[in-house]
Amino acid sequence: MKKSRKQRNIVKFRLVVFASLAGLLILFSLFSDKLCPMDPYLQDLSNAKAAPSFVHPLGTDRYGRDMLSRIIVGSKTSIFSTLLLVTFISVFGSMIGLICGWFENTIDVILMRIADMFLAFPGLVFALAVAAVLGGGLQNAIIALAAISWPKYARLARSQTLTQKKATYIKAARLAGDSDWKLIVRHILPNIMGPILVTAVLDIGTMMMELAGLSFLGLGAKPPIAEWGSMMSETRNLLTTQPWVTLSPGIAIFISVVIFNLFGEAVRDWLDPKNGRS
Amino acid sequence: MQKKKMMAVLIGICLALGTLSGCGKTQKEASDGKKTLVIGDVSFNSANEEADINPHNTYAGWACIRYGIGETLVKYSDDMEIEPWLAKAWENVDPLTWKITLQDNVKFSSGRDMDAEAVKECLEHLLAVHDRAAADTKIASMEADGQVLTIKTSEPKPALLNYLGDPYACIIDVKAGFDNGIVSGTGPYIAVDLKTDDYLKLVKNDNYWNGDPKIDEITIKSITDGNTLAKALQADEVQAAYGMAYESYPLFEGDDYQFSRISTSRCFFAKMNFDENSVCADPAVRKAIAMGIDKESFVDTLLEGNGYVANGVFPDQTAFGGDKVTTESYDPKGAKKVLEDAGWVDTDGDGIREKDGKKLVVKWLTYPTRQELPLLAEAAQASLKEIGIEVDINNTLDVNEVVQDASAWDVYAMANVQAPTGDPEYWFRVFALSDSAKNQGKYSNAQLDALDEQLSQEFDTAKRADLAVQMQQILLDDNAFVFCSFLKMSMISRSNVSNYTSHACDYYQITADLDIE
Repeated sequence: MKKSRKQRNIVKFRLVVFASLAGLLILFSLFSDKLCPMDPYLQDLSNAKAAPSFVHPLGTDRYGRDMLSRIIVGSKTSIFSTLLLVTFISVFGSMIGLICGWFENTIDVILMRIADMFLAFPGLVFALAVAAVLGGGLQNAIIALAAISWPKYARLARSQTLTQKKATYIKAARLAGDSDWKLIVRHILPNIMGPILVTAVLDIGTMMMELAGLSFLGLGAKPPIAEWGSMMSETRNLLTTQPWVTLSPGIAIFISVVIFNLFGEAVRDWLDPKNGRS
Repeated sequence: MQKKKMMAVLIGICLALGTLSGCGKTQKEASDGKKTLVIGDVSFNSANEEADINPHNTYAGWACIRYGIGETLVKYSDDMEIEPWLAKAWENVDPLTWKITLQDNVKFSSGRDMDAEAVKECLEHLLAVHDRAAADTKIASMEADGQVLTIKTSEPKPALLNYLGDPYACIIDVKAGFDNGIVSGTGPYIAVDLKTDDYLKLVKNDNYWNGDPKIDEITIKSITDGNTLAKALQADEVQAAYGMAYESYPLFEGDDYQFSRISTSRCFFAKMNFDENSVCADPAVRKAIAMGIDKESFVDTLLEGNGYVANGVFPDQTAFGGDKVTTESYDPKGAKKVLEDAGWVDTDGDGIREKDGKKLVVKWLTYPTRQELPLLAEAAQASLKEIGIEVDINNTLDVNEVVQDASAWDVYAMANVQAPTGDPEYWFRVFALSDSAKNQGKYSNAQLDALDEQLSQEFDTAKRADLAVQMQQILLDDNAFVFCSFLKMSMISRSNVSNYTSHACDYYQITADLDIE
């Protein structure tokens, strides 16, 4: 059942709003260095744990660093590492899935069993183990999360490829003499992109949380790098006495995750065949 | 449709009930009239080398003595003077011979009488298995005769009794065994159950020789996270807490809680790695680090005044500490000059100096169980960056493993009680001599080793103090260590707990006098 014109307009409106918000957030984090009112790494112990004021709208942490500046500069670390991670796992996972689905041979069996193995581990626990073996640091946290997150895309791309492969238009294209390469790039890839894109956008929020989680546990960003998860972890002892120091990076994570999740949902609704797009 | 709704409501109710069932009281109420007390402790854990309460196992003796399980032959007063405890008298017959007379009527919790034979067996076992005791005490032989123990040392050992007051010398019945790390001591409480890094359960010793323990059951909970400890004390899950983060102190400044505060010889200090591949092998780098750490701000802000700036190894209260030695003071400008003169220059403009193509990056190793250590690391990271040194912090519970690998660290910042025996020799013996057990940075100074030889044979306390001052000055001139601050210690308890008192040497936490209303 197709949606009415009014419903379609709402979907479009939501897409525009949330895409703009997500775009703004990314743009904001891209220029965060320039937007900081103060040096986010400058310690001023004589002004430690100051309450929110005109000079420090979100107060200062226990080293006297301006919290607002740290949150602004932390957006770059948190958002860009998440985007990097999601781009990598979606591209890598989809490529594996595409290869498996198209060729359906021994390689498919081997790669899919490897993917099953990774899927069998509880996600964060496995990431913790990987991060612990590789040592702390943001880069290793990204590797750890990438290691457990790609199979989801591999499976999705594989099932989509299998469906498309059997479609009549592919048979027609093959009869017309298209090579495997051309079939994949010109016909399969554009047709399986939608679901992968939706999954990837919806994954941004989840990955941001997981990355912040690893940082919170001390396996992500190392001091003094401003990263929202590690900022919360460092200041958690102050939750009862100076709550603004712990809550402000938490709120930053919350807002970003909500924006990316709503954007993901808007993309999903927009790509929904019921939306009348063809 | 109606059915589906009903089902959904039913599932919802089931889930809610399931969740709520977890909210019940987990602690058993003391309905049988027994007095119970739970203490939360951040230091009782395997990462802190206190995996159990067997005093012959690394630093586990601290737990043994703190929790009133074991006692030593002598104990320390608040001025760190030696007082009788399980030994009621002693005599230094000649430089190599000590005659120690033991208390009568003392029994181990195993039921065995504590006589000279039992003490001899215990000390023999200690010397055979412990990593520091044999080198500290130099005991050559022992003779037991009733309640009199005669100890002969292989060389004059003026500080022998000080060492016998160290937690590792807790007198235990070795014949009773070491099952699961539990030992049989002579203290007011008996250990009955232990799970490393989790809990220790104690019951009162009805046959205690030196008073009547007031509490029937005590549980020590190992809580390494300061925030968890604060919440546990607020929620009455623990009624007393050891090692609370200073940041949480404001939560307990009401009538419901009480603090027991004392200045201790616990010191935050950084030791340097002298391995040839470490940047700290360069004397200029060590000097710059010593000049680049702002100790005063650390004490005032990050320790919130719960400490005082350290000069050398020992605190002011001792005859060999405080300002009797001199060291580098905070001087970023001077530090920059020291580095420049040594050829460390920032050539690529990134703010970090280089020399021979090598960046001046200091790998700073520390651990989180002393909650102020990571703060010191991050404060030092910022102040050293000012002078062109990048600090790469590794804050890990696995510190005892990492420190063994000389390539994994350049500076190791730690906390330690500097004069646990009230005598200066202990510290040098453990940390600073060429053959010291905890000299992982391989610092070696022949003059220091020679002075230690003298110290170990000197009976005159004034001369011992003088030697200790000279030895500290050597360390400080080499910048082999940077001593940042000494700690004021606070133990916090609910107001209905009495006699939960902190002590200058940080032992004797649980005594027969400890009580709860």
